[in-house]
Amino acid sequence: MGVGTLIMTGRLAQLQIVDHPQYAEEARLSHNVEQTVTDRRGALLDRNGYPLAASEDTFDVMVERDAWKARAPGDEAVSKLTGVIGVPAQQLLDQLNSTDIFEVDAARNLSFEKAEAVRKAGLDGVRLVSSSHRVYPEGNMAAQVLGFVGRDSSGLTGLEADLDSVLAGTKGSLTAERDGLGRDLAFGRREEVAPQPGADVVLTIDRYIQRLAEQELDRTVKENKASGGTIVVVQPKTGEILAMASRPTFDVTALDLSDDSKLALYRDRAITDMYEPGSVFKLVTTAAALDLGLVSPDTWWYDSGVFKASEWSIHNWDFSANGPQTVQQMLSKSLNTGAAWVAQQLGPDRFYDYVSRFGFGRPSGIGLSGDAPGRVRTPQDDGNWRDIDMATNSFGQGISVTPLQMAMAVATIANNGLAMKPQIVKETVSPAGRQSNAPQPLQQVISPASAQTLRNMMGVVVDGINKHYLDVQGYKIGGKTGTANLATADAGYKDQAYISSFVGIAPLDDPAIAVLVKIDEPQGVPWGTVVAAPAFSRLVQQTLTYLNIPPTEEALVSKLGQ
Amino acid sequence: MATAPRTQTRAVIAELVQSPTLPVLLILAAMVIGIAALLPLVQSSGATTTAGNIQALEQEKTSWQAQLRELETQVATLGSLNRIEAEARDRLGMEPPQVTHYITVDVPPPESQKLPSRFLPNEHPKPQSESSLWKDLFGWMLP
Repeated sequence: MGVGTLIMTGRLAQLQIVDHPQYAEEARLSHNVEQTVTDRRGALLDRNGYPLAASEDTFDVMVERDAWKARAPGDEAVSKLTGVIGVPAQQLLDQLNSTDIFEVDAARNLSFEKAEAVRKAGLDGVRLVSSSHRVYPEGNMAAQVLGFVGRDSSGLTGLEADLDSVLAGTKGSLTAERDGLGRDLAFGRREEVAPQPGADVVLTIDRYIQRLAEQELDRTVKENKASGGTIVVVQPKTGEILAMASRPTFDVTALDLSDDSKLALYRDRAITDMYEPGSVFKLVTTAAALDLGLVSPDTWWYDSGVFKASEWSIHNWDFSANGPQTVQQMLSKSLNTGAAWVAQQLGPDRFYDYVSRFGFGRPSGIGLSGDAPGRVRTPQDDGNWRDIDMATNSFGQGISVTPLQMAMAVATIANNGLAMKPQIVKETVSPAGRQSNAPQPLQQVISPASAQTLRNMMGVVVDGINKHYLDVQGYKIGGKTGTANLATADAGYKDQAYISSFVGIAPLDDPAIAVLVKIDEPQGVPWGTVVAAPAFSRLVQQTLTYLNIPPTEEALVSKLGQ
Repeated sequence: MATAPRTQTRAVIAELVQSPTLPVLLILAAMVIGIAALLPLVQSSGATTTAGNIQALEQEKTSWQAQLRELETQVATLGSLNRIEAEARDRLGMEPPQVTHYITVDVPPPESQKLPSRFLPNEHPKPQSESSLWKDLFGWMLP
């Protein structure tokens, strides 16, 4: 008797004194609900306010383990719940019986109607938790630029990740006491810290132009059986990106994050991927020489068909020898020997100085993660640099750039030589107010007069292109083609693989857009004129009309009433 | 000397006990105690009802909010370019123009009609200065 009393007393002491904190904590956890609450995640809007990614309220269904684990699949409550949430009864019960936690999420992101059905069923041990679901009204438009969010609504890639702190707002918390059936106690402790909604972010992207760019890119990639491509449309005066599309892409509405093979599709290739730009880079070489007064469009040199640099010989793309040629002809015929000659007039210091001033060799500053600097080898930072490097760099080989960098360089020429910082975010709008991003000039790269001269030369280049490939009716435009060998990771080139590109500005007299079209590994004829210029032509024609830019060529304009 | 008051008190008590008003007083006292005992219950009941009402209203607010955002998303989806093009092609039988004709007119183009933005906050009107009798009378003296 005495021993029994002693044991009981000892056990009571253990439970009530020694183990008290543990049991008190268990009791607190089973009666107190502590949850993080969030307000609406901000939307990503196009420049005119149309939502590209937005959130709608959904509901997660939480089921209390102890109240449900003993139920059978045929139980009325089980049938009611699983009938609404669309989960097999046995699967739900297995989930409940195999967990150690207090409650499990039986279903996520239920719509309002389904959540109402669950609520009206009035099931004990079942509660609804507010959540949110990202929706994309324009489908997969600009998927790589926008990125996507994870199950916890935090951004994982693209702008969703880079602007997560702005979009997500501030999290709040809710602590409430519940009864044994999981219902809130009327007089229970309830502490709530209200969350703050995220800010909406207005992008510089125009959904109409973005869609045009994506349609033309899809068409061009398909027609040329290419492995991919990129189109960038920039507003030269502000540096704002009106469209930025890359292929291949992914379906943002049907993500499979467990598939590692798709990871490469998520990156924004326009800013992360480097390539050798080819002959479009002759614009940079020419700009530098024009700006220093070393050449004019009429300056001539003798093209023997070979340019010697170090122990190497450089030939034209068609192995032609053209005799006396002007700088304008160098651009129009895209003569490699001519570009190397112009670079030779500059010398490496001045050549690479202008390459740097145009923004190559460093991140563009657009503010997105993965903004690649490109690769520019100079005599100062590479001991293996030789004269042949500058010669090949002059026509865009042996130098790596991103599509955005190349587009911004062309935009600089279009903007009278003034380089603007590329912008993708126009403003953020929160309950506290609006914060606009003003256009940011970077530096005057070349003089306005040099830029004007170069634009005229680009116009002559376009005049020489067959209208079958490039014909923007009603507008005078300028541009340059490029066809480059595809570089491999081991500093070599892939056999019979090219990158075809076209860069241009429109209208030529007062440029409203600068456009880059780049097509990777087209099958068949690889020339930029044949592959990329038609896409540029169609895109620019529709974009100028959309932007209400009056045509300049009177022949296509009829006066009302005449 | 001390026995006189004690005797007097006993007489008062005896008189009170024998008085016909005692049961009434006792009943009244019992009623007061009963009512006082019920008061916390009534208060508790009222508070429970209020708390229940608050929860119901919060629930209703959440529901309306969810419905509102669903409708907003629906509006955005209806305004999507893909849907508009599909409607134009499939329902209205339209096709993209093959040739564009530009016509110059002497009037400015109409303002582009944007979707009523559900995201942007309302423009707050500037607060107007309050008018008063004194200001009306002596406003001419103010700068």
